[in-house]
Order: sequence, then C-alpha cells, then structure tokens
Amino acid sequence: MNLEPMLAPRSVAVIGASNNPDKVGHVILQNYIDAGYEGKLFPVNKNAERIGNLESFKSVLDIGEDIDLAVIAIPAPLVPQVMEECGKAKVKTVIVVSGGFAEIGETALEEKIARIAIKHKMALVGPNCLGVMNPRSRVDTLFLPTYKLGRPTVGGVSFMAQSGAVGSTILDLISSEGFGLSKFISYGNAAYADEVDILEYLIADKDTKVIVMYLEGIKRPKEFLELARRAAKAKPIVVLKAGKTAEGAAAAHSHTAALSGNYETHMALFRQFGFTIADDLSDLLYYAKILASESAAATGNRVAVITNGGGAGVLAADAVASTSNLKLAEFSAETVKALKKTMPILSSMRNPLDLAGDANYAIYGNAIDILQKDKNVDMFIIVALFQTPGADDRLANELVRYKNSIGKPMIAISIGAAYTQSHKTMMESAGLPVYDSPSSAAKALSELLKYSEYKRRRR
Amino acid sequence: MAAKKLLQKYGIRSIDSSYVKSADAAVAFADGDPIVMKVLSDKALHKSKAGLVRLNLGEEKDIRKAFADLSNRAKRLRPYKIIAQRMAAPGIEMIIGGRTDQQFGQIVLIGLGGIYVEVFRDFALRICPITRYDAGDMLDQLRSKNVVTYNGKATKTLEDLLLKTSKLLAENNGIKELDLNPVIMRANGYDVVDIRILK
Repeated sequence: MNLEPMLAPRSVAVIGASNNPDKVGHVILQNYIDAGYEGKLFPVNKNAERIGNLESFKSVLDIGEDIDLAVIAIPAPLVPQVMEECGKAKVKTVIVVSGGFAEIGETALEEKIARIAIKHKMALVGPNCLGVMNPRSRVDTLFLPTYKLGRPTVGGVSFMAQSGAVGSTILDLISSEGFGLSKFISYGNAAYADEVDILEYLIADKDTKVIVMYLEGIKRPKEFLELARRAAKAKPIVVLKAGKTAEGAAAAHSHTAALSGNYETHMALFRQFGFTIADDLSDLLYYAKILASESAAATGNRVAVITNGGGAGVLAADAVASTSNLKLAEFSAETVKALKKTMPILSSMRNPLDLAGDANYAIYGNAIDILQKDKNVDMFIIVALFQTPGADDRLANELVRYKNSIGKPMIAISIGAAYTQSHKTMMESAGLPVYDSPSSAAKALSELLKYSEYKRRRR
Repeated sequence: MAAKKLLQKYGIRSIDSSYVKSADAAVAFADGDPIVMKVLSDKALHKSKAGLVRLNLGEEKDIRKAFADLSNRAKRLRPYKIIAQRMAAPGIEMIIGGRTDQQFGQIVLIGLGGIYVEVFRDFALRICPITRYDAGDMLDQLRSKNVVTYNGKATKTLEDLLLKTSKLLAENNGIKELDLNPVIMRANGYDVVDIRILK
C-alpha cells in the first residue's frame, strides 16, 4: 500500500469542510490553511458555494483535477457513497476521520468501505481516526485546533497509534521536545491500512530515523512477525503495548500456557527482534529522544558521570547501577593523574566526577577532554545544573560541541524551571538529549546500549 | 511413554520411569533404589498441591503404602495413571515449556520451575525458532539468573535444552502445550522429571 501520496500530497480534498467552526471538517480545513500547506486545497460540501476564501465543490467528482488525498469527515452512513465517488475521481488515498463504524458494532459498514478502497486501489487510513501529520509537507488532518494542541517541529521521529487520544497527547508532548516529528499516523479502526502497512511505510521513509508505536492489538500477526524480524535492523522502533491486564486468562492446561499470555507473548516478540520496549508514555519520549539524537552507537556499558552537584551526581550513579546492563566506569590511572594535574582543587577524582558548584564551561571542557581519552569510559552522562553560578549558555554550547565530536554516546541531565528549560531546549534542538531526572537518563542509555548490541548482532 | 520417546528423539533425556498398574509392579520397577510415584490425570494440574506425589520411596512397605494411598486419592480423577520414576537427585527446579500461540505460532518458555512457577512468575518467552543468542538472552532475562546459571556448564545445558525444545516444537505442529516441569538442574547434568504434552 502506497501511503506516500497521503503523507506528501500535492492536492487535498476535504470532504465535509464547513463554514461552521464547530464542525470537524471546518477545523481540518482551517488547520491546513494555518499550517501553510502549499499544495492545492479543495473543500467539498454539498450545500456551500464557498468555504472561507476557497471555492467549494458539491462532489469530489466536480473538482476535475488529480487528488492525492481525500480527508472524509462526514457522518458514517454517507461515507461509502463518497468513497465510491473518490474511486471514480481516481483519488489516490483516503483518510476517513469519521467514527460510527466497527467501534460501535457497525462492522458491515466498515467492511464495505474497505472493499471500496481495495476495488479502487485507494490507500485507506481509518475510519475513526485523527489521520496524519507531516510537518515537512505541512499536512495536518487532525481535527484538533492548533491553539489547543501543540504541533511539533520538523524532525526524525515518526509516531503511529491506533488511539487518537494517545496519539494526540504524545504529539502535544513531542511539540515541547527538541527532537521534532517526521510523520504522525493515527489509524483508528485499521479497516484497510494496519500496523503492517504503516510500519512498512515508516521503515522505508527516508526522513524517519526512529519509529514510535503505541499498540493495542495487531491485526495481521503473522505478517507483523515477518516484518518484525527485519524491522529494527533498519531503524530503532520504540513500542508501548497496552493491555497488560486486559487479558481474560483462557483455561490453561499447562503452566506454560498459564504464564505466557497475550501481553507476555508480544513482549517476547519485541525483545527478540530488537524493539525498544516502553512501559509508559513518558518512556516513549525518553527513548525516542536518545535514539533520534544518538549518532554514536554504544560500544560498551561503562558510564562516566560528570556533575556540578554532588547529590545529583550520586543519584545519577545510583540510577546507572540500577539498570540491568550499565555500570559506572572506573577511571584509568592516567585519567586520575591528568585530573589531579588539571583540577587540583577537586576533592575526589572518582566517578561520579564532582566538579563542584562553581564549575563553568571551561572546567567541564577540561574534564571531558581528559575522560574522552579514557579507554574505560564508553558513555557520558553530564549533569548540568543551571541554578549554579558557573552554568550558563556557554556551558550549553560547550556540551553541544562535545556531543557532536566525542564519538561516544553522551546525554545530559538538567533539572529545573524556566531558566533550565530554555537551555534544555537549546541543547536538544542542537542534538544533545537532555533528561529531567537521573532515572530517565539512565534508562535511556540502557535502552540505547541494548539497541546498539542488537544491531551489531543482527547486522 | 510416547512423550518420553518424542523428547528422546530431540536429545532430551527424561528420567527413567514406568507406568505401574499394581504395587507389585512398582516394587519391581524400584528394584531396591528409591523411587517417586505420581498420579497423572488431566483433571489435576497441581499434583504436589493435590497430594498426588510421593517422594523418596526406598522401602518396599513404603512403596506399597504409597501405591494404595495414591490409588485411593485418584479415584475421583479418572481416567488416571500412576507413574513410578527413579528419585532424582536434588537440584534447582526449572520449567521448560512451549505453546502454540494463535497469533504468532510456536513459542518456547523457560523459568524457575517446580512449585515456584506461579509464585515468582520468573520466566522468559521467545517465538520459535530461536537462536543460541536468544536462548542465552532468555536466561539473562530471568531474575533468578545468578542462581540458575551458576557456571558456564549449566548455562550451556539450559541453552541446549531450549534449542532442542524449540526444534521439537517447530517440527511437531500438533503440540498445543508442552510442560517439562520440573527439569532438575545439577552440577553434573539434569533430569526431566515431569512431562505434559497437550495436542
């Protein structure tokens, strides 16, 4: 199924576009205009001559031009006829935003629209979905107003979800992160395009560096399994699976069957084939962030912690030790010697390396210069507390500079309010992942290492 | 005994055992060595809990008493069989199992076994077929990994058992569920003590 015309359309018809601001079709059209979409935009409404400043059409058949994407936001019973018209008009792809299908028991209606899509060789996303967003091509079919839901910047993380609510929440959260969005696809009931089609598309999409998926179920498990075998070899995939407790334990005759329920089996598949497993929505962001930014693969598990706050350094060290695969690096004798020579005022030359509260960008720089030569150090966590006198935008710049030249994984921890947040945003948009807690930072590094090892093994 | 033969075909040894229809047959099987007797019935999954297992029967009178007692308890579990086995030397009890999943096909499992299976729920699963890496990663995933894989030899033995089980499952599509529980791990080898196959 070719989803490219849907995500990068040259022309879009919004069926159900309306002058009434309470209508979903109104918001969708308005969002296209607000996003600065540069392709051709055709409102379709049986009763209107004009929608806003645009000429409106009675039917998609009246437009008389090539349509890459039709967004359909009209009551469910009217959808089949409109889709037939789309088919006749040679529309390439269709998103059915409307609800009122299988989710309320109208499975026959849903099967009907799937058959129409197949008959006319139209890719179909939905029904009962938010649709798609692509900040690069300024495509935005979400019926959520931009003042209520933040829109992310252009980036490398793509997100797919059945659930519109989870999808839009994640989108809102991503919009305040530095890493940015490549594609967003909320596919609702998956009448036609399902997990397999969308994952396949995102794997092939060159702008997508990391795939994040929120899964409730898998429509075609056998095909998904085949795709999963090669998926994470191509690019990192972060997955959150809902339904840990939803399971109605079937009558099991064996202990094996009693233990290996639906959720556990999904988890086994993800682990086996190198997916990065998230336990929570926040994990999705933590892991997407590091996987999107990390140009250097992790080659070992020994972490150096550099800090300007003793307590935060110890917490970071604890968090590292609490993961299943990371440990604190032991600095080499040469490192300790060099540190003593360069930074004689330091009380301790051990890991975590506490540079003390007055450390400025130059002191951080000296420490990183020395530690990056240490063969016992594989990864860096830099705790940068911006409340201290020495930490300012020069430190943020310096850390970004090291991040881009160090050749080993490096992340930062900065905890704090407005002043910290502005530096965090600056560092993240320049490619240095910043975490707001030691535990999230350590978990992220841990997952990066797991993924690096998977890639090495399955190359 | 078909199950035992099937395991044997894939190089998985199970402990020497025999169905016994009488106390005499049990005594003859024991031949002076300590044995275990158990009731096998589809109506009883938790044999130990239901009092359907008798361990370490060395004396003839103990064997006869256990046979009479088990026969009595098993009446309500018809159809049933009584099996006599060599008494396995003590070790760490593991479970190795498999299942045909409706969605993803055959899966293989390893975990802390015996009576701890459902208490600790310490297990790992993979989709078949698995590689040696997968087998090692499964052991690594266990919370009890330091107890279970106390040396390289134990790790190798368990990995081999997992690979053999994966192969068995892959080549016998009819198996819906498989339990080898417990598999008793010792420094010098293992004993598959109990087998349950559901086709």
